[in-house]
Amino acid sequence: MLLNPLTLHLPKTSLEAAKLFKELEDSKVLAGGTFLLNSMKLLKTKGTRTARNVLSLARVDELKGVSFDGDTLTIKAMTRINELFDSPLLGDKGHLNILHTVCRNISTNPIRNMATVGGNLTCRYTWTEMGAVMIALDAQMHFLGPDGKEDVMPAEDFFKNAARSEKLFTHVTIKAQKEAVAAYRRVKKTIHVDIPSLAICLKTEIKGKQWYNTRVGINNGLAFAQRDPALEAFLDKSVSSPDLGKQALEHLTTAIYDTRTTEYKQHMFRVSLRSAIEEICQK
Amino acid sequence: MSEVKLTVNKKEHILNLKGNETLLEVLRDHLSMTGTKTACQESECGTCTVMINGKAILSCITLAANVQDEVTTIEGLAKGDILHPVQQAFIEYGSVQCGFCIPGMIMSSVALLEKNPHPTQEEIEYVLDGNICRCAGYPKIFEAVIEAGKKMKKN
Repeated sequence: MLLNPLTLHLPKTSLEAAKLFKELEDSKVLAGGTFLLNSMKLLKTKGTRTARNVLSLARVDELKGVSFDGDTLTIKAMTRINELFDSPLLGDKGHLNILHTVCRNISTNPIRNMATVGGNLTCRYTWTEMGAVMIALDAQMHFLGPDGKEDVMPAEDFFKNAARSEKLFTHVTIKAQKEAVAAYRRVKKTIHVDIPSLAICLKTEIKGKQWYNTRVGINNGLAFAQRDPALEAFLDKSVSSPDLGKQALEHLTTAIYDTRTTEYKQHMFRVSLRSAIEEICQK
Repeated sequence: MSEVKLTVNKKEHILNLKGNETLLEVLRDHLSMTGTKTACQESECGTCTVMINGKAILSCITLAANVQDEVTTIEGLAKGDILHPVQQAFIEYGSVQCGFCIPGMIMSSVALLEKNPHPTQEEIEYVLDGNICRCAGYPKIFEAVIEAGKKMKKN
């Protein structure tokens, strides 16, 4: 056997899942399984014990799907990456079609068929892509407690708390802003392993070339996803121009990009940020 | 141990499982369906690819007891002696060298062509990016996929 003995729990409703999430000791949540099962196998080969209880969300239909109510995009936790990629709802909603680009660049096709948006957000690996994206898009994350009560918090706050939650993550909501534009860049760690070395997402509104309400979501692979306040402050006073990308590099919160990292990665951050800003300037 | 119902290639199986078996282990060790291959065991190579609900899935990171929909393996593609168009095309185009990646390649290709029988080269490469061929037989594999798509579209 490649996995240690475990008990698989198969709730059928989100409330049942939320109760088990609270009650089960020594447990892990199974969404798509692309992170969890690999890590459990690896830990077993090292002789390390793994969770005795696995809470599968595969049968909770309430946690599946993408919807749009005219104002807000809702992505349920168990939506597969390829389902989001294929969703026609992303097409013409201003900046929301950046999610199409994000999904396209995640891992390989079979992984995209299995991996979920919820798993990518809550797995507590610092390098996963969706954190930076949801921060840039100012997404709200929704959690369900065993008492049936819902908590909502901005994605930014969730990641400031190291992606911890005592309640079950159910869905994310993002307001559509037709005036907003976004850009996304992702750099792979190596050609062999599709773990991102870095991911960045910029979202802004541009009126007459002036940037407004800019949000910059950064995933540096070392810390949980975060914003870059220095870069946001600079861009919000800026006007689109061919030089803006180059100028922006003088206004970074350098600790995000330069601490505990290689020269190559520092360089790639700057290349990626400049490229993303230049892309937005052309929109 | 608990009873798990698993439908593979349209046949229902009732299995006594401990719960920690991967789908790959169940297919090969419990059901003797060794067409689906074991290689990296960590979702990198694609040799364990099967189809669930028409989608290419990696059976090495799927818990068998967690599967509720029908599974299609390489053994389930042919109809008696009549090979699936993708299988036939792989033979005709000389796409098989050592053969180890081929079941996984075929499953991913079938999943693609059922959704889009007329993919571009770029779309084929994008969808097959999870299936590695160490013999580097990609050109003939892609040719076979294009040809199979034409046949499937005709049918």
